[in-house]
Amino acid sequence: MPGGDGALVPVPSENGGSVAVYPLHHGLNPPIARLAISWSRGNSLRVSVFRPPSEDQAGGKVMEVKLSNGGDQEITDAQWRRIEYGSVLPFAMLQSRRSSFSSSSKVSKSPSPYHLDWWEYVIEYSKDISSLLGGRKLPPTPIIEEPKAIFKKGEEPTCLKAAWEMMEMFYADKQSQAWLPERLVDWLADYDTLFSRTQATIHSKLVDFQKDLVNIQAIEDDPRYWEVLSSALAVGWLDTVVKMLRLHGSYQLDQLSNREVENGLVEAVAVLISKMPRLRPESAVGKLGECFKSKPEFSKAWEKWRSQITKLDCSAFWIQCDNNQTREGLKGMLQIMLGNIDTIRMATCHWIELYVSHFLYIRPFTVGIESMYSLALKCIQWKPASNTHRLTALLIGILEENTEVVLAECSKEYGPWMVAHAVELLSAGSEQAEILLHEERYNLGGISIGELHRLIYAQVLSSHSLTWQIAPIYLTSCMKQGMGLLEILLHRQSVRHNELLLKNIELCRLYGLNHISSNIMKVAGVYHWKHGKKGAGVYWLQQAQDANRLHRIAQQLFDSVGKSISDESFRQWEGVIELLGSDSKSAGGLEFLRKYRDFKRFLQQVTGGKSTEAARQAAESLILLMKNPSTPQRFWLPLLYDSLKLLNWQDCPLLNVSDTNLLLNKLQELSLARLRPDFKESSLPPEALSCVRLALATNLGRAILDE
Amino acid sequence: MAKPLLTLDSGTTCSSWNYCGERLAAGSADGTLSIFDFRDPACSSSLRSTFKSKIHEGNIVKVVWLPPEYGDAIACIFADGIMSLWEEVAEDSQPFQWKMCKSFGSSLSKVLDIQFGISLTILKMVAAYSDGYVRVYELLDPLELKSWQLQAEFQNVIDSVSAFGKATCLSASISWNPQKGGSQESTFIIGYNSNTSELNSSKVWEFDQAHQRWLPVAELALPEDKGDQVYAVAWAPNIGRPYETIAVATHRGLAIWQLGLNPDHDGILPVDRIVLLSGHEGEVWQMEWDMSGMTLATTGHDGMVRLWQSNLNGVWHQQAAFQPTS
Repeated sequence: MPGGDGALVPVPSENGGSVAVYPLHHGLNPPIARLAISWSRGNSLRVSVFRPPSEDQAGGKVMEVKLSNGGDQEITDAQWRRIEYGSVLPFAMLQSRRSSFSSSSKVSKSPSPYHLDWWEYVIEYSKDISSLLGGRKLPPTPIIEEPKAIFKKGEEPTCLKAAWEMMEMFYADKQSQAWLPERLVDWLADYDTLFSRTQATIHSKLVDFQKDLVNIQAIEDDPRYWEVLSSALAVGWLDTVVKMLRLHGSYQLDQLSNREVENGLVEAVAVLISKMPRLRPESAVGKLGECFKSKPEFSKAWEKWRSQITKLDCSAFWIQCDNNQTREGLKGMLQIMLGNIDTIRMATCHWIELYVSHFLYIRPFTVGIESMYSLALKCIQWKPASNTHRLTALLIGILEENTEVVLAECSKEYGPWMVAHAVELLSAGSEQAEILLHEERYNLGGISIGELHRLIYAQVLSSHSLTWQIAPIYLTSCMKQGMGLLEILLHRQSVRHNELLLKNIELCRLYGLNHISSNIMKVAGVYHWKHGKKGAGVYWLQQAQDANRLHRIAQQLFDSVGKSISDESFRQWEGVIELLGSDSKSAGGLEFLRKYRDFKRFLQQVTGGKSTEAARQAAESLILLMKNPSTPQRFWLPLLYDSLKLLNWQDCPLLNVSDTNLLLNKLQELSLARLRPDFKESSLPPEALSCVRLALATNLGRAILDE
Repeated sequence: MAKPLLTLDSGTTCSSWNYCGERLAAGSADGTLSIFDFRDPACSSSLRSTFKSKIHEGNIVKVVWLPPEYGDAIACIFADGIMSLWEEVAEDSQPFQWKMCKSFGSSLSKVLDIQFGISLTILKMVAAYSDGYVRVYELLDPLELKSWQLQAEFQNVIDSVSAFGKATCLSASISWNPQKGGSQESTFIIGYNSNTSELNSSKVWEFDQAHQRWLPVAELALPEDKGDQVYAVAWAPNIGRPYETIAVATHRGLAIWQLGLNPDHDGILPVDRIVLLSGHEGEVWQMEWDMSGMTLATTGHDGMVRLWQSNLNGVWHQQAAFQPTS
């Protein structure tokens, strides 16, 4: 990678080969005995710092380090989040268009960037994204409502938006490829202010001049007036120039008569400027200059315009003009329009301004990236900057047609959001770029650079509790490894909070990750079960269809039920049994518990009153239970012991002969089982068995008599 | 860039975050275990202590969380070689409490490191003992952390015939293949820091379902480095790469290994040491992969936190370092 910066995860890095070392302020007194590290979600790393034990000193600190620099200091966290949320829809839209595109055109596997329609989608996407990056631009050619206001203060543009628009113009906007230089002129008009932060620019000169404007009486006598005029003209801010020219003192009514020639010259220059031919489809409403779509027409107009300038330059009126300042100032402007390189160099500050003025006055017929690149290198030579601005670094990368450099610049200077989204523009740019970005690489673990950058961006989103929910949209657009990362991300969400849990499960459902959601529900089930919320525990385990754990819970319930069969504490299990009963298939042996609950209810009714009907129902329920193979053997005796009242029912025997025989057989089986070593005694009184046997025998006798 | 989350009591020696980074367990030199929880899940701002108690006489040297499928539970390794399992439970509508479930190890055969892995829905615990033996335990009841069964016991050697009786091991490092679910057999890597060179080199062990035994399927050491004492191992999460990535730290430096997924006819997995990196100049204390397995964070004897990444050409390098300062 150029510059040695092929960072996968955007940790802040500095230029040069040596590793950047960042201080980690913990506020403890030295020495430090030990460190411990742990990754949280995404790019956040937690570091524990421990001191050796000592009195009255803190023992350590735990810190969280966010490793993504977010790219841009000029954008606040809240603005970033707005951008992150806002770009989801355009991104998702483009992805869905891509998939429907590739399914409809079977001939080419991926949508060709040269396909007639595809770039239209990309440009729509680009415009949507661009609109998120900042509101209104600074007016390209400032509007002057107030006569002395050269610039209207607009919203401060950001480098992020400037960079995005630059890529849009070079890669996505195929329609304006023919007049790229003109677009660059417009771009600089919008964003020249961004270069002012590090060095003087034409924009900063204009702003400074405007501040002093109110105090200047005869504007044309101030050399700065002419300086600023030439500068603004050099970068093609025609409206500003013409407006400023009209502030010239000779326009004042009381001056007009004795400065007729001077005023005529000023006006002539102003008219020439406003008639400047431009090779572009049309300019914005109200903008000066004459636009020509086709080159021959433009060329004709250009020649004519130039000859008019030359004519004016050689005019005899100059001698009649006695204002030296005006004469020299206007002459200088004519020189700029005639493409005098020295004058232009004097008038411009930053190399990119010089670059733009080349397109306007020196090489108006420039086409093709290659010639634009060599011109840029020349301009840099002429006006070397002390430090490279991040926008110019990106521009050079673009002009150099070096996708790697562009990616690296995007990543280094604008952060992972930019790279993940700009890949769409880049791959629309050229076939080579598309291949470079979408070719699968073994070095990257079998994914493409494009996918890698989406994964990285998704990691950044995952780091924050307010944005992790949108990470899946980017992950699912990754063909190879997105789902793997999504699974890990979902696994790492807490199950303690119901809202988050439901959101998590919803995401699993949305992306068809059933095995993940069942695991999440399992974790939730165990958490609730262990933390005393038995009902919620069983519910989630059932949702997870975790037969293994449910079976263990059933065993625990049996134990509990078996111990306290006549106990009030049974009530607390009732709800759980109710839950389990609703889906007995997954609960296995828990079917028994449901029957047991019914039996228990009947029995309670019997205890309350003396209704034979209730007792009969209870008895039927008992037989059902005893016949059912899922009823564990160790419950037989407690069940029968609980039913003593039924067996000894006064009014009539409740069990017939065959039922009684069944119960007697069970009792016999139980007696045999007791001889086995693994038999567990129930906690019933020792005489329980004999009591039951006696009651059964009595009942049998009565039943025989009855029949 | 760094945000302080918590100030720890004097004497704290180790800490560990749970699966979702919401709970922190910290151990002290006097055997005190503390648990801290975030107040609000949405904003990771303030941690509060929800449990603090002296659970052992002596230093806690390491705390490891169990997988969340088994509740909120931790394993504490003490300096005297005992390891005990603790879990948070609420019984009979009483408030949550941390209770001890089980303890392992003794002063003769100390527990050096343990790690948990889930294999075919069964929780397995690999413990490295100071006598050079690796013991694998299985949890019998998924809801009871009391009931463990020793499933296997072996030494960290390729040639299982020879046994090394009098090994003295200072430390060991275990890392499970973090693969979630799936049909793949469970695998882990273990390396020792001992006086017996055969035990030291990190080896990947895989459970052979057919014969119900653990087999070494790869050795992550160059032939001339096999006796090197291993400080730490870390198995990277694999989100879809056609190979596994494992980091191994020895006195030579930090090696990144790629492990092929398809075994040869002897069942051995192909290995390739991608790079040997230097940085910590001494013992490496801990290595942690991020959730994508793209960035490795390490700490070591030089007191630094270092981050390692591979660039677009697959070349590994140190990406950044953090120096703790007051």
